[in-house]
Amino acid sequence: MPEITGYAFPNDIHIHWSLMIVMYPYITGFVAGAFIVSALFHVFGREEFRPVARLAMATSLCFMAVATLPLNLHLGHPERSWLVMVTPNLSSAMAGFGMLYSGYLLILVLEVWFVWRQEIIKYARQSRGLKRTFYAALALGTYDQSPEAVAVDHRAATLLAAIGLPGACMLHGYVGFIFGGIKANPWWSTPLMPVIFLLSAAVSGIALLSILYQVVAKLNRRVIEGRTVAALARWLWFFLILTITLELLEIIMLAYEKSEAWHIISQLLTTRLEFSFITIQMVVGGLIPLILLGVVVLMDKYLHERIRNTLCIASSILLLIQVFSMRWNIVIGGQLLSKSFRGLRSPYSPEVFGREGVLMAIVLVILPFVLLWLFNRVLPIFGDDLPAGGAHHGDPPRAAAGAAAGAAVAEVEPA
Amino acid sequence: MDHAPCTPAPTAPPPPCDAPADAERRGFLKITGGAVALLAGLDAAANTETHAPPPGGDAYNWEEHRWAYVIDTSKCIGCGSCVRACKAENEVPEGFVRTWVERYISGPGGSYVDSPKGGLEGFPPVPTAFTPTKAFFVPKMCNHCKETPCVQVCPVGASYRTKDGVVMVDGKSCIGCGYCVQACPYGSRYLNPVTHTAEKCTWCYHRITKGLKPACVEVCPTSTRIFGNMLREDEPVRQIIDHERVSIMQGHLLTEPQCFYLHLDMEVR
Amino acid sequence: MEHARHVFRVVLVVIVGLAAILIGRGFLVPKSHGIFGAYRADNVAEQMKARLPAHQGAASCTPCHKGKAETRAAGSHKTVSCEVCHAPLLRHVAEGKVTGPMPVDKAFTACARCHRKIQGRPEKFPQVVLEQHVTTKLEGAVCLECHDPHSPKL
Ligand code: HEC
Ligand code: HEC
Ligand code: HEC
Ligand code: HEC
Repeated sequence: MPEITGYAFPNDIHIHWSLMIVMYPYITGFVAGAFIVSALFHVFGREEFRPVARLAMATSLCFMAVATLPLNLHLGHPERSWLVMVTPNLSSAMAGFGMLYSGYLLILVLEVWFVWRQEIIKYARQSRGLKRTFYAALALGTYDQSPEAVAVDHRAATLLAAIGLPGACMLHGYVGFIFGGIKANPWWSTPLMPVIFLLSAAVSGIALLSILYQVVAKLNRRVIEGRTVAALARWLWFFLILTITLELLEIIMLAYEKSEAWHIISQLLTTRLEFSFITIQMVVGGLIPLILLGVVVLMDKYLHERIRNTLCIASSILLLIQVFSMRWNIVIGGQLLSKSFRGLRSPYSPEVFGREGVLMAIVLVILPFVLLWLFNRVLPIFGDDLPAGGAHHGDPPRAAAGAAAGAAVAEVEPA
Repeated sequence: MDHAPCTPAPTAPPPPCDAPADAERRGFLKITGGAVALLAGLDAAANTETHAPPPGGDAYNWEEHRWAYVIDTSKCIGCGSCVRACKAENEVPEGFVRTWVERYISGPGGSYVDSPKGGLEGFPPVPTAFTPTKAFFVPKMCNHCKETPCVQVCPVGASYRTKDGVVMVDGKSCIGCGYCVQACPYGSRYLNPVTHTAEKCTWCYHRITKGLKPACVEVCPTSTRIFGNMLREDEPVRQIIDHERVSIMQGHLLTEPQCFYLHLDMEVR
Repeated sequence: MEHARHVFRVVLVVIVGLAAILIGRGFLVPKSHGIFGAYRADNVAEQMKARLPAHQGAASCTPCHKGKAETRAAGSHKTVSCEVCHAPLLRHVAEGKVTGPMPVDKAFTACARCHRKIQGRPEKFPQVVLEQHVTTKLEGAVCLECHDPHSPKL
């Protein structure tokens, strides 16, 4: 039974962009966010990100691999989805997806290839039989490991990262554009939308990596580098501040301009979205991590390693929830609003089973990590002989003792 | 995409002559579109000027028609005959409508709007918390916009606007993404729960191309709904749009609707 | 350049892949796509033939129901299409032959849709407060006890 508040257009009963369309920007957000982290090392040369650079790139690729799944699960006719590539309507923001997605995927794959080429060659030389054929094919038959070739790889990777960074930003900014470009919907239609999406993508990507980095390091019994954790926290805080500011600005702007839809949007935020917007997105996922990370960043000197790392993990988890609720509030919230501006559609709660259900969403979140594990089996993310990092292209890790601003290396022993 | 000659008469009142904006837009599209098209080898898709024989054979020439619709809200009695006729004519699925009737009741103390089942079974009397001073019905439907946001966003070109000015959905190409449903400011599209494709009012294209009126116009007992060809001087729609003070729904969105309203109240959006 | 051989190889792979996609795309585009715009032109004709027109207007009943048609045309329901109170012609007659029974809705609710006094109807449209107009029990075909649906004015 529909539970409509006020007057909604008769066709505006239920929402049809369901949980899967919430998952889609959530997942592409990790693609972009993780790529930004790897680019901080590859393009901007921030040494403190060396230990996570390869992990970040692999994460980006693995999330990229599942990015189209939620879309196809949602489509009424997934078997026709290829039409988006074959007969794209050039005026459609959504048609741009095909090109951006494949373009970015290409760049990502190429960059991964260049970064992992030494390993590929190594395995092509070491292994036998089928495995050897596989790696030889991956290596494209050239086994050039001379310092000059390595230098070429390094330059190619940097160049690709430099192209990939705007690519990743476009890919995710574009997701924001899909919503921001709908002039019929006042809750979506703002030029801020792509920016907000991008910034929260950075938040979710960095948050994910700071968790992943610590977890993977523990699992592999590696040292968790303090300066890396601290740097991740610092960037996370920075992007969080930007996101929260813009998210608030958007609403304040609507309210201050007394825009024609404000009365219904305010009703939306205080009724249907009260929990997911005010409680989760703003307080639990916004304010609390803001404070926790503020403590980490500003009082770094006085914090014990273990406390700092825990605080980072805790705020990262909260931020993963925050970004999810932000996607939810945009995608679902925007549809709860009837175009009549006089009413709200029935509240949405996703089905559990089924194509667009909660279980599927959980599978979608787990799948990239399975892929990551597979990736690591094929192309080890952490070289056997190297400390967590990718020292094969570039100078050896800078002496830890000289690390900046008290971010001394944490010698946390694995439990 | 409209090829109407740039005489002020047959086009929508605002703007009186849309050629410059149109040309500019098309120029821009050519540049951006052209670049992408070259990349992807999409020249065929980008080239809209081909003079292929019009579809439909000799019986109907779409070059000779430019359909438009006028709704005189002061005449509507809210009987819902149009809603029922549309449903019967087009096999509209349960729970959705391609045209519907809204009732507005307002007074100094407030306002109330309803449309039970889109007006399918008429309207009941309602008690209002305020003392109403005016009340009226407003039939609604797809506005068949010239600058239509739904066609703009369709990723596969399943939504399109014909040369005679009708916005339609190709059910065989539609991938069911629902983007057009989101983009329509008028709430006139829905996803068919059976076919999983987007559907909407077609102005009964299967009727109008055979010389019949759309079903909703056919059954309207009070001539609230008027439909006709803007390329013919003697058509009532043309007369009304040319000489009366008409308004459109949500003009600020610049979608250039081709449904024109007479006696529209400001409450309506 | 000698040490960039692998770069050339990978570029070649990319180019071959792109070419394959472009060529493959050519085969997949629907035949009539893009003739008049970025859509499948054949669909216009398909839409014309999408279904048979169901409603045919009051004139279509005249050949077989001359009496009723004349009564209606002379009365105050001359603007009320037969198909509003009955059903679309296609349910009843196809290709000049009767194919199915035509429903007849005799209930007072059918009249009430148009004539019940509610907020919103134009003042000058004839409407009645049902409970006041009908003093007997308000049910079934009460309206027809006094009014002829095809020419209701008394
Ligand atoms: C081809 C001739 C033909 C046309 C056209 C036609 N009818 Fe009939 N109609 C008949 C015949 C014959 C019967 C009697 C059949 C029967 O009793 O089953 C009938 C019966 C009816 C009945 C009585 C049904 C009943 O159960 O008592 C109604 C009402 C009716 N028609 C309405 C219409 C309307 C309204 C139209 C126009 C939209 C229409 N008819 C067009 C031939 C026609
Ligand atoms: C206002 C609604 C209304 C309209 C308009 C209307 N009818 Fe009827 N019609 C009725 C009702 C109600 C009955 C049943 C009358 C009765 O049983 O006394 C009926 C009965 C009939 C019958 C069956 C007569 C019988 O005695 O069994 C025919 C035939 C018919 N209508 C044809 C038409 C045709 C043809 C038109 C259009 C020219 C038309 N009607 C328009 C409401 C309408
Ligand atoms: C689809 C709407 C519709 C339905 C259904 C309908 N009518 Fe009417 N009726 C009209 C219209 C329109 C008029 C003409 C009003 C006018 O002249 O302004 C009218 C006129 C009348 C009049 C004459 C009023 C006058 O003073 O001129 C009567 C009486 C009447 N209808 C009774 C009925 C009855 C009884 C029924 C049910 C069998 C019925 N109507 C069903 C639309 C309808
Ligand atoms: C007992 C007989 C009787 C019954 C039953 C009856 N009416 Fe009437 N109705 C009349 C008479 C007599 C008039 C004309 C006198 C008048 O204008 O008030 C009339 C007039 C009307 C008018 C025109 C009113 C106007 O303002 O011009 C409408 C509309 C109408 N009736 C609808 C209905 C409807 C709908 C029903 C069924 C719910 C119905 N009637 C049942 C006797 C009846």
